[in-house]
Amino acid sequence: MSDALKQLLTYKNLGTVLFNEQLQITEADELANELFVSIGQRLHKGHLLDFFPELIGNEEFLKQIIHQKKNDFRLDFVNRAVDDERPIFFNLLVLPATLKNHGLLILENVTDQALAAQQMNQHRYELHLYKRDPEFRKQFLSESILGRSEAIERIRETIQKLSKFPSATVLLMGETGSGKNLAARVLHYSSMPADAPFVEINCAALPEHLIESELFGYEKGAFTHAVASKRGLLEEARGGSLFLDEIGEMPLNMQAKLLNALETKQFRRLGSTKPIETDLRIIAATNRHLQIEVEANRFREDLFYRLNVVSITMPPLRELGTDVLIISEYLLKLFNIEFKKEVKGFTEDARQLILNYSWPGNVRELSNCLERAMIFAEHETLDATELVISGPLAQHGKPPAQQWVVPTGGLVLEEVERQLILSALKQSGHNKSKAARLLGLTRDTLRYRLDKYQLS
Amino acid sequence: MATVKKKICLIGSFAVGKTSLIERFVYDRFDEKYLTTIGVKVSQKALPPVKNPRGGQIIQHTFLIWDIAGLEKFDSVVANYFRGAAGALLVADLTRPETIDHISRLYDRFSVISPDAVVIVLGNKLDLYKEENQTLSALKAKAVEFKTELTLTSAKTGEGVEQAFLGLSEKIGCLNE
Repeated sequence: MSDALKQLLTYKNLGTVLFNEQLQITEADELANELFVSIGQRLHKGHLLDFFPELIGNEEFLKQIIHQKKNDFRLDFVNRAVDDERPIFFNLLVLPATLKNHGLLILENVTDQALAAQQMNQHRYELHLYKRDPEFRKQFLSESILGRSEAIERIRETIQKLSKFPSATVLLMGETGSGKNLAARVLHYSSMPADAPFVEINCAALPEHLIESELFGYEKGAFTHAVASKRGLLEEARGGSLFLDEIGEMPLNMQAKLLNALETKQFRRLGSTKPIETDLRIIAATNRHLQIEVEANRFREDLFYRLNVVSITMPPLRELGTDVLIISEYLLKLFNIEFKKEVKGFTEDARQLILNYSWPGNVRELSNCLERAMIFAEHETLDATELVISGPLAQHGKPPAQQWVVPTGGLVLEEVERQLILSALKQSGHNKSKAARLLGLTRDTLRYRLDKYQLS
Repeated sequence: MATVKKKICLIGSFAVGKTSLIERFVYDRFDEKYLTTIGVKVSQKALPPVKNPRGGQIIQHTFLIWDIAGLEKFDSVVANYFRGAAGALLVADLTRPETIDHISRLYDRFSVISPDAVVIVLGNKLDLYKEENQTLSALKAKAVEFKTELTLTSAKTGEGVEQAFLGLSEKIGCLNE
């Protein structure tokens, strides 16, 4: 090999291996050796195919190259990963050598290019499969609910089971920011064909008269500004899902109309006498305790039972243990893309802070906190000092004591106590010892209060 | 004991389960997550040693199994992926009928580069397959067209996987030298 060629190869970071007609290695340069060290092997004189099994079956072809009867032999993106964590890709190119009866194998580390190509193909193929393959879609969507905790596994399992019953009504409950909207979408897209509509309405965002026309639609002339007929969301969602977000905020009058549509599976546009059949899945979500709302006469009991066919309670972030770190890592990746940054992770202090804070606003609060930190981030890792949180830190993962405020209209303390005891019993599956622990009482004190409120 | 290495290729559209079949056969494991293959990865698996009936010599065959990315275009590099193969498993996804048509195109190209190689047609993802005659007959027709047999497999459960690889080794002659 000429000095100029050697210089060029070194400049381009290419390793070289010289071999003879018997396919025995006669010389390997330092760079080729380094590349082999990176895959946990040592390159030394021996049979070429022992080090490059990818060339097996091509022995005659290689000999033809040596004798210049063929120009070259090339293999792109040969995966030489030692394990899944450390991918290493080589390009192999065999050329006739200037030394008589020898061949030259040129070795190039192309890991970065291969990973970029891999990522591109992954997205392309996933998109294709997502559209065409319902099983893949279910699996893909299931993985979009992040976390490995038991609670998250249970949510995934429930959604998986529900996906087989595309007409079953589902009630999603949970604190604000706990992922009810995501769960609704995963449920819809796992259950329905890819082109089935997912129609969403936030019941808190629209005034009563607008909710009605939005849901049921109207005929031209039904009211002053109805200059043309309009399909309602119940019609738009035909063959798909209607997601009623913040159903707890729906006015009582509208609740009755919605219930009627759900019970009879038909409705009428405003100003029309013609009934329209409904053919959809209703997914409702609320951060309110609907049972309490029913008792307070703010939510219709019959609608509650109609919606509560299957309920899923999304767990708050503080109950998900180390899942909060998985979600944080994921958000970090998203913000890296959005803000064109290359923050690699969190310092140990930051991880501890994320783990120990109670995140009352759940994923929404976590996302906002990380977004703010990423905007100002200047280092490779995010530190605790860069995470601005607005509440007190939890003790050992428990939420901080809540600040109770007496409503302006006052309250009956005993009724509050009674409700809390009922809630503790429900949470503990009516295990009195567990309920007592939840309330910070002894078992005897709880028994006394159960008698007092005639709950025993 | 003499050792003989044979190159075999797994060929098929993307996401038909080529990598999963190799993972099941070589390491007896399965991962639900889909990770597309880029380029080529060669795995090795030693087959049960056999006695040469002529010389009585024990021969250890090793399969060099080429996991080749789902190919969309053919060029000289793809020819190099196929060259020197003793056999190939042509893999289709039983749940995606379009992958059955693709194996014809792949087989045509493969058989030009390695005309002496033997092939077996695999219908993979048997665990997800809902009995549907059209898909199965289309796959059977491909096997007839390529003058070979069809094996139904599930990389997930392992059903038919070893049978497919050992079937290929038998056709190549690794089990009865």
